[in-house]
Amino acid sequence: MKQSIFRHHFLFTSVWLLLGASIMAHAAEPEDIIKYRQNVMKSQGGHMAAAAAIIQGKVDFKDQLLTHAKALEATTRFIPSMFPKDSDFGDTKALDAVWKNNAAFLKDAKNAQEKSLALLKAVEAGDTKAYGPRLKELSETCKACHKDFRKEDDQ
Amino acid sequence: MALSLSHGLVLAGLLAAAPSAQSAGDRPSDAVLTRGEYVFQAAGCYGCHTNDKHGGSPLAGGRALVTPFGTFYTPNITPDPESGIGKWSQQDFMQALRAGVGRNHAQLYPAFPYTSYTRMTDEDLHALWVYLQSRPAVKQANRPHDLKWFVSVRSLITLWKALYFTPGAYKPDPQKSTSWNRGAYLVLAMAHCGECHTPRNTLGAAKTSLAYAGTSHGPDDSVIPNITPDKATGIGRWTTGEFTAYLKNGMTPDGDFAGGLMAEEIDNSLQHLRKDDLTDIAEFIQSQPAVVNALHKADKKSSVKADWE
Repeated sequence: MKQSIFRHHFLFTSVWLLLGASIMAHAAEPEDIIKYRQNVMKSQGGHMAAAAAIIQGKVDFKDQLLTHAKALEATTRFIPSMFPKDSDFGDTKALDAVWKNNAAFLKDAKNAQEKSLALLKAVEAGDTKAYGPRLKELSETCKACHKDFRKEDDQ
Repeated sequence: MALSLSHGLVLAGLLAAAPSAQSAGDRPSDAVLTRGEYVFQAAGCYGCHTNDKHGGSPLAGGRALVTPFGTFYTPNITPDPESGIGKWSQQDFMQALRAGVGRNHAQLYPAFPYTSYTRMTDEDLHALWVYLQSRPAVKQANRPHDLKWFVSVRSLITLWKALYFTPGAYKPDPQKSTSWNRGAYLVLAMAHCGECHTPRNTLGAAKTSLAYAGTSHGPDDSVIPNITPDKATGIGRWTTGEFTAYLKNGMTPDGDFAGGLMAEEIDNSLQHLRKDDLTDIAEFIQSQPAVVNALHKADKKSSVKADWE
């Protein structure tokens, strides 16, 4: 009896391990990667617009600014990994330059990371006068990267 | 007093020593140069006439403009006498912008938006000419256009102009406000928004009934968005403040950022404009009729060709 329970457990565990391993080994589909990065980028846009509305005094959610700044700092780190080599076609606006001119692309991504970190630091320090300039600098990195690496498309 | 006098003498000495072919009387005033620079920025000359992405010198041309009619390579507009416009007279220049006719009577392709620049005032054209002459000369030969056979015959441009081109400076509409008219002037004569945002017919002329409604066949194979006040397919939900913020820094109300040609346009041109001018541009565009025109883009193809291709 005891042995059969053991065997049962063993089989059960092995099946799950095997299943898990096969899921892990299965490479993500390019269209799923594209969709994922578009969603991350959209979330960044949402945080940018939200942060801008707070910084410009359009809305009074000052306490929430830190969360937006943290989200931007955290997700701009994702940018380099979200553009693997085989995700260059389909429902994407990413230009071939992302891969052909990858060093420049990574430089732009790093720039976005640094500028979002600078915004986060300003917000953490409560340096209200720096909010506007740091946000503007971060905005410029978004635009600079879209200028060279994203195709213009309908909005 | 004595100090400021000696200052003045030193300054006069420096100016006299400055190497210049022009006599002091010909030197353009700062006011004209400042105005010229502003016109230059508002008209977006730099963007097309500089091969920025490949490290080209300012205004030396060579930038490719990919259109459904072929690829245009923009010319050198620096004052270099051989490869630029150094031999041009102001009259030649005015004729190019007003009438689309180059030096030696060459008909110019409307890829150069004289269809818009013709609406500029004489004062602005003069200031622009003066400013361009003040730029450094760069020796760089023009690259010939690479056009489809049916557009490569320049004499056909005369016919095209007869059909679609109305030369002449912008005439303010007395029924409209000063700010609206200023916005109209900036949009129609200088920033030439409609050159990209208004779809074109098969002969490349603007479809005026669809003004600012966007197109899937923009330059560089871009989708150019509908900027009419239609709420669903245009930008009718944008407030004037959001509109001007976008023109200044490229951020849409939902936090997306302009890319491609529009990012260039903002960097080289729009961000330099005065706030009141940006507001006037917004006023004019937002007063346009809303056009329902949803734009879609086909999926991007892989740059890696499959075996069977």
